[in-house]
Amino acid sequence: MSRGAVRHWRAERISALALIPLTLWFVVSILSHLGADRAQIQGWLGRPIPALLAAALVIVTFYHSALGVRVVIEDYVHAPARLRALLSLNVVASWLLALLALGAIATLVVAG
Amino acid sequence: MCVAHAALTAAEGGSKPTLRLASPRVIEGFLRMTPAERPLSPHLQIYKPQLTSVLSIANRGTGLALSIGAVFIVAWLAAAAWSGGAFALAQAFWGSLIGQLFLLGWSFSFYFHLLNGIRHLAWDSGFGLDLKTTYATGWSVVVLSLLLAVATFAAGLALRGGA
Repeated sequence: MSRGAVRHWRAERISALALIPLTLWFVVSILSHLGADRAQIQGWLGRPIPALLAAALVIVTFYHSALGVRVVIEDYVHAPARLRALLSLNVVASWLLALLALGAIATLVVAG
Repeated sequence: MCVAHAALTAAEGGSKPTLRLASPRVIEGFLRMTPAERPLSPHLQIYKPQLTSVLSIANRGTGLALSIGAVFIVAWLAAAAWSGGAFALAQAFWGSLIGQLFLLGWSFSFYFHLLNGIRHLAWDSGFGLDLKTTYATGWSVVVLSLLLAVATFAAGLALRGGA
């Protein structure tokens, strides 16, 4: 897995930098919406700026997560067939979860 | 394998040698063995845990915990978008004792991975790589993430109580 190692290393760090402000925004936002009902969540994430930030958070989170989980799989799984299967599962699951979250945010924007 | 961790572990081994050379007779004995008979080189479980290695594996553990946490956040978002029943269920889960314990663990994982990630970015830029600074930043990360997790949780309880 040495191919693209520099790219992987750089991508992991750039996404890490982007996640610093995005995750802090999310934690503060969640704290200020504790106990909110569904309509209040729709009212918050249905607005353009929070929706955009949430979408960016989703994309960068699953990108960074896929990069990190890939290294964990590469380090601990050695049987070639299982290694290939888990690496593919990591990519597919990350894509599906990110797309599901983006679809949810889009729905909240349309509804809100 | 994390390069910084390997370098630091090697540096630590250098300052506190834990292995001594075997006697010539023992070495001759090893040489007479077939490769399969020779003892294995010392592995993880023989070393005393060091802050550097423990925090390195904790960075990985908290990263995995946060990846699993992200799945729950997606489920929560999907519930908010598409199902009132699922959203009520999710809110009830977060309010339960298990949900609250999850949140406490995740906030610690979040702050730890965030602060240790910044520590890694500093190492990548060539800062703080000597052993003394590494220990100082390491303990700072541990203490700060505990404090921030408890503070966030307390703020959450206060805000929820006020709401």
